[in-house]
Amino acid sequence: MKSVVTTVIAAADAAGRFPSSSDLESVQGSIQRSAARLEAAEKLAGNLDAVAKEAYDACISKYSYLNNAGQANSTDTFKAKCHRDIKHYLRLIQYSLVVGGTGPLDEWGIAGQREVYRALGLPTAPYVEALSFARNRGCTPRDMSAQALTEYNALLDYAINSLS
Amino acid sequence: MLDAFSRAVVAADASTSVVGNLGALKQFIASGNRRLDAVNAIASNASCMVSDAIAGMICENQGLIQAGGNCYPNRRMAACLRDGEIVLRYVTYALLAGDASVLDDRCLNGLKETYAALGVPVTSTVRAVQIMKAQAAAHIQDTPSEARAGSKLRKMGSPVVDDRCSSLVAEAGSYFDRVISALS
Repeated sequence: MKSVVTTVIAAADAAGRFPSSSDLESVQGSIQRSAARLEAAEKLAGNLDAVAKEAYDACISKYSYLNNAGQANSTDTFKAKCHRDIKHYLRLIQYSLVVGGTGPLDEWGIAGQREVYRALGLPTAPYVEALSFARNRGCTPRDMSAQALTEYNALLDYAINSLS
Repeated sequence: MLDAFSRAVVAADASTSVVGNLGALKQFIASGNRRLDAVNAIASNASCMVSDAIAGMICENQGLIQAGGNCYPNRRMAACLRDGEIVLRYVTYALLAGDASVLDDRCLNGLKETYAALGVPVTSTVRAVQIMKAQAAAHIQDTPSEARAGSKLRKMGSPVVDDRCSSLVAEAGSYFDRVISALS
């Protein structure tokens, strides 16, 4: 899984050398920033259900046609799946906050998502709306500190971009 | 390759849950500089550690450098030193990442079979790794043996806390033990 530490180690290993002081500097930089990331991860973990519910409600209220018969949010099963998908994205964002890179989002969320949504005939605009709602909902200092919110929003932007 | 953070993520993903217990990771971050000092202590003394470990191994078993021994002639002695450095390097990577996956995947996977095919004696290899384990502990604690080092005594001089990084010493030791158990 790609993170600052594994990238540094892979580069050192490719050159067959011990970790140099510049390698250690970059790891230290990542460690110094990680306090904010872990704060965001902790807050998001504590409120994941509420955040996902709000985001889901927001996208369904904007794209209410999804409730029509035959659409992606028409039955209870479909509704549960839509809600679960939003939660998956937020969970992967939480993972990316923990790791300190976009590795979990890339490997488990974004890789193949276009093909899957095309095969299932799902529109991506509601996902964008849901994640954008979460992106604009976060507020400092109510939810988390400013730096933590920056890290969180950056990952939401990354996920939104992948879907747009 | 995983590190302490991605290990937690992979474990959480197996049960489709968020990473709940962040305490251990916060501890990892809080002691981050100590970990980097420990990695630096090993990396800065690596060539000395490796040559001492191989020399110690040969000292205890002179047969290795006599005709027919596994460290004779120079070509095989050089291969031995190179392997010692490789093992130490991967242990250093594991210590930096806080996870043994890089050591397992890139160094230990198939090492036992390779050594068996090449006729490398396991007991001697294990002994060299044990010496490196003791050296790594001394360097992380910054307590090199004054009696034995003599004029070559070298201290890193980084500010050392009261417990002399005992948790990192234990962690580095566990990686060396992993090498030993993978070989035997």
